[in-house]
Amino acid sequence: MSSIANVADERLLIEAAQQDPTRFGELYENNFHRVYAFIARRVRDRGEAEDLTAEVFHQALSNIRRFEWRGVPFAAWLLRIAANLLADRWQRASKINELPAEALESVEAGFEEDVERRAMLFQLVDRLPADQRLVVLRRFVEQKSTREIAQELGRSEGAVKQLQFRALQHLRSQILSRDVNAEMDDRSPDTEAKPKIIEDSHE
Amino acid sequence: MNNISIYDELDQVIGTMISEPDAAIAAENAKFADVLRIASDLRNLPRPDFKTRLKLELEWVASSRPLSSARQPQMIEDFRILPSLFGNSYGTYPIQRVNFATSIALHAAAIALMAVLGALAFKHTVNELLPNTGVTELTKYVPPKGLIEPKGGGGGGDNSKTRVSNGMPPRTAEEQFTPPTVEIRTNQPKLMVESTIVAPDLKFPQTDHVGDPLSSLMTPSNGPGVRAGMGTGSSGGFGGGTGAGLGPGSGGGYGGGVFRVGQGIKPPQVVYDPDPEYSPEARAARYQGTVRLWAIIGPDGRPHNLRVERSVGMGLDEKAIEAVRNWRFKPATKEGQAVAVEIEVEVGFHLY
Repeated sequence: MSSIANVADERLLIEAAQQDPTRFGELYENNFHRVYAFIARRVRDRGEAEDLTAEVFHQALSNIRRFEWRGVPFAAWLLRIAANLLADRWQRASKINELPAEALESVEAGFEEDVERRAMLFQLVDRLPADQRLVVLRRFVEQKSTREIAQELGRSEGAVKQLQFRALQHLRSQILSRDVNAEMDDRSPDTEAKPKIIEDSHE
Repeated sequence: MNNISIYDELDQVIGTMISEPDAAIAAENAKFADVLRIASDLRNLPRPDFKTRLKLELEWVASSRPLSSARQPQMIEDFRILPSLFGNSYGTYPIQRVNFATSIALHAAAIALMAVLGALAFKHTVNELLPNTGVTELTKYVPPKGLIEPKGGGGGGDNSKTRVSNGMPPRTAEEQFTPPTVEIRTNQPKLMVESTIVAPDLKFPQTDHVGDPLSSLMTPSNGPGVRAGMGTGSSGGFGGGTGAGLGPGSGGGYGGGVFRVGQGIKPPQVVYDPDPEYSPEARAARYQGTVRLWAIIGPDGRPHNLRVERSVGMGLDEKAIEAVRNWRFKPATKEGQAVAVEIEVEVGFHLY
């Protein structure tokens, strides 16, 4: 039921953005991490991933009025734009017409799940406690050592390492709990336990 | 203490992961496998401000971009066909036609309410319609044909036993030298002067047979009057009056002594003319018109013998007479003396 409501909401958001481009923001918020994760999964350089992500959303904004609702999630359209951009970039880079092997990676098993997991992970980082999030960003984005981070934050190196550990543990538990919830949502209603009515037999 | 070693150990592995991206670290650290996989993915985190910067950039592009050319005709078309009523959707909202109908009904009710309240609050009162009498004209008196019967102003005779004989009055003149006579006592006068009477220019057929037009045909006679002339009066006139005129009055002229403006008669001048009232029926009917009256303005400056020459009805004639009766005039004069004159008065009734 909730998925139907989400689909209806997304359709309204798309129609609103088609009539007023300034209302594109909510679609951006809902799909940013997924698009970035999709691209970052294929390109290793962070700067290149950010450039491509920005280009995807610019193209989407420019062509939002041409989008036709056919029941397919808006993210699929964005990922199609991203895939085309990646293919173009690789074609220009290699000067050949054949797409590289990475271009076909989207059809490989587990790719979509990996992208979804990364998108979820990037979203969860934004929801970490402030000190844990700060340590994660300094450590993995800026690639600073724990000593440098400790000096910057005015805390001990051990405290920074502890924050790093707790942040990773927190992210892991969050991902696991969401995976469990997703499995529960995907479970067929036929598997639900139903109470049995046992009729008493009196002889 | 044990935990601290775990923090250090994990930090060392992560440090190696960051410095050597291609190293197969997770396989070598089974107890950190799940955490290291997360750490590996975290290496691809976007910069913390990237998402915000890109959003601001997109918002700026969206706000600075005019509505697309494809969108503008769509909007025009939507307005043409009342999209909130006939369209499938309007903006991000589904069409609710009942809302449109409700809006129409509410607006109609509001307009009707305003009309009713306006009618109640601003009731029309007839008092706002002030009568305007217009211009009161004192026109030159033009006696209607046969209005005043000649009846005096003159007199005379030569003590005859019989009444004055039938005939027509002699020619009128401003000054009389020879009174009219039909029976000539002096057959051979030293100075032959045509007999005249003093009266306005009367248009009687002039014949040789001078006499009283109202008398019966009989033997010529100057009548039983005295001091020459013809008739029963005195002072050389013609008829039963006194003076050189015609009829039973006195002085010059003819008739009962009422003059007309002109020929030495200065017209009366109105000095007080209050406005007439508007009759209720004429005001209710928003009826307008001009009443024309005849009035004799006496030497006292008061109107007399008011009568309607041209009626407009609806009670306005009576109102006109009622008003003019209260008017006051500076009387007409003849040779400096106040005399009665008959004048025509117009009283206009207009609603503005």
